[in-house]
Amino acid sequence: MRMFATIAKLLVKRVLTAIPILLIVSALLFCILRILPVDPAAMSLPPNATVQEVEAMRTEMGLNLPLYQQYGIWLNKLFHGDIGRSIHFRQDVTSLIGSTLPATIELAVIAMGVATVFGLAGGLFLFYVRGTRAEAVMDFLSILLLSLPEFLWSLFLLLIFGVFFEVLPFTGRLSPGFERPVVTGFLLLDSLITGNISTFLNALEHMILPCLALGIALSPSLMRVLRSSLLDAYQDDYIQQARLRGLSEKRILIRHGLKNAILPTLSLMGVQFGFLFGGTLLVEIIYSYPGMGNLMVDAIRNADLPIIQGAGLTYCIAVLVISIVVDSLYLILNPKLRVR
Amino acid sequence: MAIPSAKNPILSAKNLCVESLGAKESFPVLTDLNFSLEPGKILGLVGESGAGKSMIGRTISQYLPKGFAVTKGTLSFDGEDLVSMAAERRRNLLGRDIAFIPQEPLSGLNPVLTVGQQMKEHLLRIGLAPGEHWRERALKEFEAVHLPHGAALLEKYPHQLSGGMCQRILIAMAFASRPRLLIADEPTTALDVTIQARIVKLIAEMQKRDGTAVIFITHDLRLASQISDEIMVLYAGRPAERGPAKQLFSAPAHPYTRCLQLANPNISGPRRGLFILPERMPGLRVLKELKGCRFASRCPNAIEACTEIEPPLADIGPNHIAACIRTEKTPDIVPPPLAPGREIASTRIHLNGEKLTKAYTTAWSPFAKRNAFKAVNSVDFTLGEGEFVGIVGESGSGKSSLARLVVGLDTPTDGRITLAGRDVTANGNAEKAYRREYIQMVFQDPQSALNPRRRIGSIVTQANEASGLHNSTRERMDRAAELLKEIGLPPDAAMRFPSQLSGGQKQRVNIARALCTLPRILVADEIVSGLDVSVQAQLLDLLLKLRDEHGFSMLFISHDLSVVRYLCDRVMVMYRGEVVESGRTETVFANPQHAYTRSLLAAVPPDDVNAEWSPVLAEAGYQVE
Repeated sequence: MRMFATIAKLLVKRVLTAIPILLIVSALLFCILRILPVDPAAMSLPPNATVQEVEAMRTEMGLNLPLYQQYGIWLNKLFHGDIGRSIHFRQDVTSLIGSTLPATIELAVIAMGVATVFGLAGGLFLFYVRGTRAEAVMDFLSILLLSLPEFLWSLFLLLIFGVFFEVLPFTGRLSPGFERPVVTGFLLLDSLITGNISTFLNALEHMILPCLALGIALSPSLMRVLRSSLLDAYQDDYIQQARLRGLSEKRILIRHGLKNAILPTLSLMGVQFGFLFGGTLLVEIIYSYPGMGNLMVDAIRNADLPIIQGAGLTYCIAVLVISIVVDSLYLILNPKLRVR
Repeated sequence: MAIPSAKNPILSAKNLCVESLGAKESFPVLTDLNFSLEPGKILGLVGESGAGKSMIGRTISQYLPKGFAVTKGTLSFDGEDLVSMAAERRRNLLGRDIAFIPQEPLSGLNPVLTVGQQMKEHLLRIGLAPGEHWRERALKEFEAVHLPHGAALLEKYPHQLSGGMCQRILIAMAFASRPRLLIADEPTTALDVTIQARIVKLIAEMQKRDGTAVIFITHDLRLASQISDEIMVLYAGRPAERGPAKQLFSAPAHPYTRCLQLANPNISGPRRGLFILPERMPGLRVLKELKGCRFASRCPNAIEACTEIEPPLADIGPNHIAACIRTEKTPDIVPPPLAPGREIASTRIHLNGEKLTKAYTTAWSPFAKRNAFKAVNSVDFTLGEGEFVGIVGESGSGKSSLARLVVGLDTPTDGRITLAGRDVTANGNAEKAYRREYIQMVFQDPQSALNPRRRIGSIVTQANEASGLHNSTRERMDRAAELLKEIGLPPDAAMRFPSQLSGGQKQRVNIARALCTLPRILVADEIVSGLDVSVQAQLLDLLLKLRDEHGFSMLFISHDLSVVRYLCDRVMVMYRGEVVESGRTETVFANPQHAYTRSLLAAVPPDDVNAEWSPVLAEAGYQVE
């Protein structure tokens, strides 16, 4: 019970500190983008608009007010869930992000899952072969993996499984002709909820290559951290003591070694997961995946300020949420952090 | 027909040899070990670190370090050879028939599992009686080792418990299966003296209950003689002497045993000098080439014949054997005369603490002040010129907190510290700079106190970096050479790294570093605990010699009362943040006034092996949380 109390305490504390962080990030986003030499008023009008029309638009959009007042208005709107309208797509930013964010979350979560499976399995294997001749080979391989970035994996996998063997689709989230149910916006979840198995399987097929590319790229650092934390844990007396109590090596590894060694690995996973939200960008472009990454690229290309602001804030919130989740997990797994 | 012995030994070693087999060279680790241990008996294994004491435990479990192997002889458990036994069979014995108690109780338990989870895992492995629930059984086992509040204990994690409680839990685990053999490897070294007494008594009690045979490994000959039936003294992997505990302790036949005994300061009777065993044990690598007795290079009785042939273990009494050709000369080894008692020449007070208090508030609340935990509570003390003052007490008594206040690592919440006439209570930058000139601290663990990436020469002259004086490479090299000479290290040590030195040498470097700028006061926190008695004796005499040369004074924190008695002019006894008794060391120890001082003294194993060791088991008490 103490554990839940500590977690609740942590949540309250973290949510309270998240508020000033969000304010600072929003102010930065607002200011930096206002300083950019683009005129949102001119951009939202057709190219043949007159100077008077542009001025009228500026007044209408409140661009002639002092910066702090503009920020106040923007913040007030933000508070009511209105980030503004995309200049390029002529659509509410909230609805744009609402339709692309679930796609990116789906991608990031599954990719992280793949990375975790590969990372844990690889780490355990690296540890298992310690001191044997295979260790040098595995060490070499893991460093080789570590030096391959996710976009190279994307291209390899795309060429091999998509183009050469033609076994997996590699564009978008769904093949044409499939019904797209919308409940939560998470395609895999929605197709399962509505019982649309063929859509689910097709969407899953589309996820395989991008998720593999991201997962494989993230896993080698997890492997290496897990291996070195296992080596550290095995220096400790309790492992020796468990042996002297006659426990089997397998049990010692899983129950005593891994349970301690997982902690540093977990914090690395938290960092990686945060990065994934910005890091799916290249993979999304390569696989034409309609996520936040593609939206951002379009927005930046078109100097679409409201979207950039909205995406920036979304990223900030995502990182805050992830760090709270990871810290709570840490509390669950590491009793030393639970204060009396 | 062999005459049937009274009892079959539970463990017996015959010509057991363990070697380290490297690709380039092999060297012996244990040589020709012969012993047998009957059920219900306790065998004490004594020797300096590196003598091979722990290697015996590891040979029994066959979890030997990489490259180590049994190359000769047998080691049988209840008639079965442990070495040639199938690994699965041996693993089956471990934890059931053969149990182990580790040296570090806090790290012997897995930090992320509750006591209950670990207890359950062990109990399920050793098997429960039909219909028995692991929880009931666990509580029963806790009761046997006098652990109260067993049910609450099951929910605790190791870090929430004290070292003594963790050790009790490990003992409960070890005895849960009613093992036939128990190996306790320095089980009390990491614990307070009062806890040590209780744990040793507990092991003896449990051992009697189950008729378990015990191998009790310790570096403390006095402790071994109190608990063991038989003692084997190991030197460089070979038994030097083996015999009935009391006989061996009261009349040691091997010079090494005698030297070990005399290297340890006594706790009762008039203070005597310490026998300084020179150098250290020969490294295992050189033993291969060594002719003659392994101890000859350090032995005060060695003659030429000793360096020619290795002396065999010869009978010198009933069940008493020793590997020495001149055992009759052993009683001639006497401690050097005690250095003449220093009269404190001047009564100049260097350091003065008045009503010194350090309080910690755990959380912000209106009652914070009232609930504050006082690590140091209204302590008055003085330290005169050239005076060594000992601070003794159990862990948590505030010894180290007081030291931190004195050196300025912490700022007192109340009270006043005066250093050489100047008030340094405020502990600002000016006070810190002033303090640095006067006080230096020697830390407990040389392993972590010395930066492993720096050379010794640069470590010992670190103080010059802070002061900026004499900070050129030339000056620092010269100063390092002087310092190394003073502490008795060869000049070429200056270019070495800490990892290339032995534990005792590292602690010397640690002392030299503190002495670099010739401070007037040293604060030493447990600087000889965890070291061999031979090294301890060397360091204690080094401190006395350095005081004669430089005249500094010292606050010497230690949990070892006999060391404080030997070294210090005055002693302060701390209990729960307060000084409960203080005075001249000999007076306090000869006639303790406070009950707590008496219980501390009673917890020390007596010098006289025939004296009743009755540690007072009251006071403090172990509690959950």
